[in-house]
Amino acid sequence: MAAAAAQPIDPRGPRFNQAALVAGLLIGFLFDFRPVVPAYAVVLLLGAAFGPRYGPFLRLYAAVIKPRLAPPRALEDPRPPRFAAAVGVAVLAAASLAFVAGAPGVAWALALVVAALAGLAAATGLCVGCEMWLFYARRRGVRLVA
Amino acid sequence: MAARLLVVAGLLALFALAPALRRRGRRRLAAPAAHPPVPATLIAGAERTWVLFTTPWCASCVPVEEQLRAADPSARVVTVDATRDPALAGAFSVRSAPTALLADRDGQVRARLVGAEAVSRYVQA
Repeated sequence: MAAAAAQPIDPRGPRFNQAALVAGLLIGFLFDFRPVVPAYAVVLLLGAAFGPRYGPFLRLYAAVIKPRLAPPRALEDPRPPRFAAAVGVAVLAAASLAFVAGAPGVAWALALVVAALAGLAAATGLCVGCEMWLFYARRRGVRLVA
Repeated sequence: MAARLLVVAGLLALFALAPALRRRGRRRLAAPAAHPPVPATLIAGAERTWVLFTTPWCASCVPVEEQLRAADPSARVVTVDATRDPALAGAFSVRSAPTALLADRDGQVRARLVGAEAVSRYVQA
């Protein structure tokens, strides 16, 4: 993706998305409600593949929450959180397949890994998937847009 | 159900403790030794130099630059567009704009401020 095509984003949007993901996955795990895993895989996929306009929670943040907040202190490059979401999609898809294959323990373990990393990102801003993309970007000399 | 509750409670406790642990980690990472020396071309012999990393889209960078100049008139203030010099930005692990580094005459980083609010807190302290 060309640097010129990437527009900086409000970093609170992905953090809201991560918080919603954690809440959904933990409630799903608590009540053994398995459809939440593929559903969140699709939710993440929409935002990762097509951009924040298509992610339901990102849209909710932009339309309802962001107008009530002060402007962000800093913007961030959108590509690291999109990459992190793509990693989340892959793991949640694997978890969904594990449910289908009759291995709910493996499935919930994978989903809880995603929940743990998303929760860490939402609570602290430390996004492991983003750091993976930034590591790649630094090695390749990719220009950040924020 | 009890085991699941325990797992969820453990994760929630981790999320609650994580911000404090991260702040501690950040303070350690922000130690001056973690940074390479600021290039002499930016220091230009000045006793104190603020290196302000910006981007073309950074709305708060210009006010921050003015704030630094007003608060520290004896210091040299240099702005670096991180999109034009990604190597330098990468060398100092710049992740967002504005990021300000305060360097001494030898190029050693004495302070690192990330975000407009951090700069405000620093200059008002």
